Amino acid sequence: MTNNSQSRLLIIDDEAQIRKLLSVALHAHHFETLEASNGEEGILMASTDHPDLIVLDLGLPDGSGINVLKLIREWSEVPIIILTVKEREEDKILALESGADDYVTKPFGMGELIARIRVALRHTAKAEEKSVLDFGRLLIDLSRRVVLVNGNPIKFTPTEYELLRLLATHAGRVMTHRQLLKQVWGGQMINTDSNYLRVYIGHIRKKIEVTPTQPKMILTEPGVGYRFVE
Amino acid sequence: MKMAKEEQRPENEGFGKDTVEGKTKDQRPVAGKLMVCVSGSPFSRELIRSADQIADDLNVKWIALYVDAPRRTPKTMNERMEISRNLRAAENLGAETFVISGTQISGEIISFAREHNVRHIVIGKPSYSRMIEWVRPSVVDQIIRKGENVTFHVIPGRPEVRANMINYIFPEHAVKWAPYLVVTGMIIVLTLLLKFTGMANDLVNVALLFLIPVLIGASRWGIGPGFYASLVSILSFDFFFVPPVRSFTVADLRYILSFAVFLIVAMLTASLSSKLRNQLKEAQENEKITLTLYTLSREMTVVDELTATLKRIVLQIADKIGFQAAIYLPDKDGELKIAACSNDANREQVKAGGLIAKWVYDHGEMAGHGTQTLSESSGLFLPLRTEDLIHGVLVIYYGAHRIPDSLEHKKLIEAIAGLVAAAVARMNLQEEAKKAQMAAESEKLRNVLLDSISHELRTPLSAITGSVTALTDQDDVFTSEDRKELLGTIRQGAARMNRLITNLLGIVRLESGMLHLKKSWCDLEDIIGVSIRQIEDSLENRQLTVEIDESLPPVQVDELLMEQMLVNIMSNAAKYSADKTRITLSAYQKGDHIEISVQDKGIGVPLNELDHIFDKFYRLKSDARVPGTGLGLAIAKGIVKAHGGTIWANQNQDQGITVFISFPVGK
Repeated sequence: MTNNSQSRLLIIDDEAQIRKLLSVALHAHHFETLEASNGEEGILMASTDHPDLIVLDLGLPDGSGINVLKLIREWSEVPIIILTVKEREEDKILALESGADDYVTKPFGMGELIARIRVALRHTAKAEEKSVLDFGRLLIDLSRRVVLVNGNPIKFTPTEYELLRLLATHAGRVMTHRQLLKQVWGGQMINTDSNYLRVYIGHIRKKIEVTPTQPKMILTEPGVGYRFVE
Repeated sequence: MKMAKEEQRPENEGFGKDTVEGKTKDQRPVAGKLMVCVSGSPFSRELIRSADQIADDLNVKWIALYVDAPRRTPKTMNERMEISRNLRAAENLGAETFVISGTQISGEIISFAREHNVRHIVIGKPSYSRMIEWVRPSVVDQIIRKGENVTFHVIPGRPEVRANMINYIFPEHAVKWAPYLVVTGMIIVLTLLLKFTGMANDLVNVALLFLIPVLIGASRWGIGPGFYASLVSILSFDFFFVPPVRSFTVADLRYILSFAVFLIVAMLTASLSSKLRNQLKEAQENEKITLTLYTLSREMTVVDELTATLKRIVLQIADKIGFQAAIYLPDKDGELKIAACSNDANREQVKAGGLIAKWVYDHGEMAGHGTQTLSESSGLFLPLRTEDLIHGVLVIYYGAHRIPDSLEHKKLIEAIAGLVAAAVARMNLQEEAKKAQMAAESEKLRNVLLDSISHELRTPLSAITGSVTALTDQDDVFTSEDRKELLGTIRQGAARMNRLITNLLGIVRLESGMLHLKKSWCDLEDIIGVSIRQIEDSLENRQLTVEIDESLPPVQVDELLMEQMLVNIMSNAAKYSADKTRITLSAYQKGDHIEISVQDKGIGVPLNELDHIFDKFYRLKSDARVPGTGLGLAIAKGIVKAHGGTIWANQNQDQGITVFISFPVGK
């Protein structure tokens, strides 16, 4: 918990109540917080105060949340967590594809938000590439393209392996259908039905999950994509 | 217009189609259009069908052309109807149709063909004796002689066509006797005058004078009376003036030559002047049509509302062509209803015509008076057609009258039907566009409303959920100060949600007229105090000054609604102003009214939006950053109005706005 003290979080939200709640709760968890009440101010503070992570409300009344995200992404790789409402699935996808690292749906539980913030911060910390991803039950040796479940090597087709590798290297984060299709199958698959993807995810789950119908590793984010849980 | 006439009497010569290559320099088939020349003869249908086939074989576009040329014998109604039927038939087969007018048919056809890149001409070859052909080359020959770079397809006339001729219902022109009597009278008067003025011996002058009745007869009543006058004149001349007088015998045989010359001159004069008369008549008719159509089309652009436009159209028809008219249009369920009806039309008749109108609407063909379908009806029913769509039915009531026997009339009513159809189509499109726009706008409004309500509800809910989860999950990390803050957030969120729900219920009550006042005598200071307590949290660090006139009398109001109104106005003031600015609430008496004002130092409202801020769902255009539903002030207005008071807003001198409420003290 001590490493939190070094982390400075920027909260961009127009609602004073939410800002207050976040700053109180995050302070209690030893994060340092900065507050911006609109997009403009947020962008300015993101550039001058060098926050380690940004919590951005997508539902700014002037609809500028997504623009703020895109503008910041033009020059900064700082992790950004989006706050959004459930009905706006397309906004979430757009945000993720515009460079957001994660999202939390309003109304949110504070524990969940803090957990997401920690995951995002850890990701930037271990930016260096590891050749072996160890998830306990599951071990992926990236250099040898070998997957071990409970120590036993499991056969994966190239597509399945690529999909698993992509999800595992972005562990803790949501990958949208589009992102997965694009990176695994290349450009021509972007407009394909996500059903295709579901079939492959099903195959992978059968090989790595204890109970494939109740997955614990590759979770479905309804309408958005998949998240690999560490 | 020889062609038409000639085609009507084809003789037994040649069956089927035989294509001859005309004067073509280039024998290879050339791309370009195909043109068929049609007339008012039923034989033209054959031509049109052949043209369609040939065009199909050649895979080219085709044109049907009718040259409207003035001629000695005026066109009969049947012929005119047939012309338009033929053109319509060609149109239905996919041809472009044109009507041009000119005196010299062959020349017009050739120049039209040149202008329209026509490389094939289909033409009917009427058959008549070699003698006539030798004397006067037929139009077909003339065209073929003139046409260069054109392939001709000559279809010979077919005798059985006559047998298949459609039975026309229009009766032919009845011979009018009056002109002949007048002409006879003129010649008698002239003879008597010449006899008794002693000019009888100057035979040359007498002969010339006898041309006068011929001229008058031909120019006034046409070729028949003209020819008749020439014959009677020559007889009278011979009998009364040429020696031996009172006998048809002629002393000097040279007079026979004179008679022949006289006859030729007389008949030529008659034919020329009657031709002139026909041309004049046609020009006048055309002018009248143009004028009528022009007036009508102007009427249509003036009024932009369908029923009014249709009403004006039927009135114009009644006025300009002298017959009552009505228009049927389908309603929303596709049921045909009377949309407009001229003033003097027989209502019963119009109602009774519904079935015929429906038939016309369903079949897209005209029916009723003067047509082959339901001809016993008193009205002529015309479909209002644009392209493939039939928009309704126009009825013209001829009653016991015959349809005026002229192509012009026919052209006129068809053109009117076309104009009405265009007007209806335009209006329908406009209506549709308007509806689509309204739907889009209400959809937009609904989305905005749903968005803002969901935002307004979700934000405090998020604050509550966030605080509660923070407190329950990780209670140990918070200091007592933090805990107090989080609990405060919960309280504020709950209060905000409550305000929104109260407002939503308020607007529903206002909208449905369920806002009932429960008036009682209240202390206004008390109400103000309660409302301030309610919004204390959202005021945060804004400095609230309250100035209440101490001598304020008790007021008869609905306490709860008054409180809601004040809460809405004050939270609005807080929402649109920065932290630590001043908000001033004053209450004082003005005559038998109480006035309350709430002044803020906020972002203000542009002058042109001041009146709208009390409208339902109205949000400031300039600043979309402040969240809200646009309900608060609308409800405040509703409450004030229910109390018989008024609400308005002014811009402050320096900054922000002041909202004033004025309502009667009560009895």
